[in-house]
Amino acid sequence: MAEVLTHAEPHDEHDHKPHGWRRWVYSTNHKDIGTMYLVFACLMFFIGGGAAMLIRLELFSPGLQFFDPQFFNSLTTMHALIMIFGAIMPAWTGLANWMIPMQLGAPDMALPRLNNLSFWILPFAFTLLLSTFFVPGGAPAGGWTMYPPLILQTGAAFPMLIFAVHLMGASSILGAINVIVTIMNMRAPGITLLRMPLFVWTWLITAYLLIAVMPVLAGAVTMLLTDHFFGTTFFTAAGGGDPVMFQHIFWFFGHPEVYILILPAFGIVSEIIPTFSRKPLFGYEAMVYATASIAFLSFIVWAHHMFTVGMPLAAQLFFMLSTMLIAVPTGVKVFNWTATMWKGSLSFEPPMLFALAFLFLFTIGGFSGLMLAMVPADYQYQDTYFVVAHFHYVLVPGTIFGIMAGVYYWLPKWTGHMYDLKLARWHFWLSAIFVNVLFFPQHFLGLAGMPRRIPDYAVQFTDWNRVSSIGGFGFGLAQLLLPYIVWKCVRGGVPAGDRAWEGAHGLEWELSSPPPFHSWTTPPSDAVIARGAEH
Amino acid sequence: MSTTGVAATEQRRRVRRSALLWALIAAAFYLGFIIMALLRGAK
Repeated sequence: MAEVLTHAEPHDEHDHKPHGWRRWVYSTNHKDIGTMYLVFACLMFFIGGGAAMLIRLELFSPGLQFFDPQFFNSLTTMHALIMIFGAIMPAWTGLANWMIPMQLGAPDMALPRLNNLSFWILPFAFTLLLSTFFVPGGAPAGGWTMYPPLILQTGAAFPMLIFAVHLMGASSILGAINVIVTIMNMRAPGITLLRMPLFVWTWLITAYLLIAVMPVLAGAVTMLLTDHFFGTTFFTAAGGGDPVMFQHIFWFFGHPEVYILILPAFGIVSEIIPTFSRKPLFGYEAMVYATASIAFLSFIVWAHHMFTVGMPLAAQLFFMLSTMLIAVPTGVKVFNWTATMWKGSLSFEPPMLFALAFLFLFTIGGFSGLMLAMVPADYQYQDTYFVVAHFHYVLVPGTIFGIMAGVYYWLPKWTGHMYDLKLARWHFWLSAIFVNVLFFPQHFLGLAGMPRRIPDYAVQFTDWNRVSSIGGFGFGLAQLLLPYIVWKCVRGGVPAGDRAWEGAHGLEWELSSPPPFHSWTTPPSDAVIARGAEH
Repeated sequence: MSTTGVAATEQRRRVRRSALLWALIAAAFYLGFIIMALLRGAK
């Protein structure tokens, strides 16, 4: 931003502060909308988690215990859809809403009304999706990947699923537009692109990914819709269509989607580790370029999800090698985080604990991803619990721990109170232990040949399934601590101070705790920027 | 209009222009992909 801007003049659309229910329904304030996103994500996390508990309950013993196979498949499908589109993505948008204007020295998001719209689409989308449990034929049961021809057998829930996916996609795209426009236009003078916090950078790249790939998903599900209702045969072999084409289109969306889910976590960890190491981030620019490289590579690796459909050797080699290439920028990140801690003055408050667990456990998910990238090995692992273990290591101690780390890092800023550190540590240790009890045995089950998405299994798999289920129940129960800790912190506690953490840097820490309704009504001074924007 | 007023007006103009650009890009992707798929399906 070359020009000097001030935010001294009131922005009419930002300034009203309604009260009661109007404050939330009509809200155009980035913090209120951020809060709504986070509350919504938390609600969906517990609904999706409830489905996971039922899955683990059924799998506690071999044989059919509680549910018929159709309902079990609905549980797995809905668990994935709810967690991906209802919990993780809205949680990231909530954190973006809260933090991006504060970190850039802006009074609010650039497009506040659009912000309101993109949030309020979500409750309708998920009401529609969840109501499929009560329609004839039950909830979708063909997996979150919606592969035809199986998904075309869905009953009355089918058009509801497609419309819900469209709504979620529209919400994500609107949110992404808002993030890009805010970052490109609302930075305070002096905040150049390479002075932005890593969380903002990772979100900017995530927003580009969202705009690029959500339309692909929309196109794919629209083709499913027309195959189902309007007689087209895009994916029906009998009419000259190709079901494998759906897999290509879906994963062209699906793999970048994986990075949409994880990149903001990279940003948060890149904020937290320097704070609690009391050192600047090692290799800031390398981190930015590594994030951009990962995003670029995410577009050219999609077929590693479908090696077993049969593809030319050259294609197998290309997708195998391009997938392995992702380990390079990811390795840059892991080494930079480690180097940041090297000879740092470390302390282990809850955000740092979650960030460190992220570092170790996400790396395990990365390693099993490399194993899956190898075509001959993937032929053995395809559709086994090894895959389930892999992506849950990436998404739970990866993404979810990244979200937890972010919440525990910025909660004192949001509320003005320090939360109960002892309880938060309990939350961390219970989560870190049980998440491994839950998912690590699934590697063994997969290697031993247990297929995924089944309600019953051979007796030989019983022991590790029991261990996994116990881990699941423990992990699920431990998560109840989070809303309690947040609720307690919102109600009161020890004042946190403006800079809640001794080693924290960033413009958000230059604001009061809690911050004013409009974050930066006047732009930060050069001195404040120099202090806050140091990496 | 004061200097700050000019700057704020300019910022609003840039926000609008940028929002419009990205909305067009997103809509072109979103609708373009669906329309292209449906046109190919109709052949």
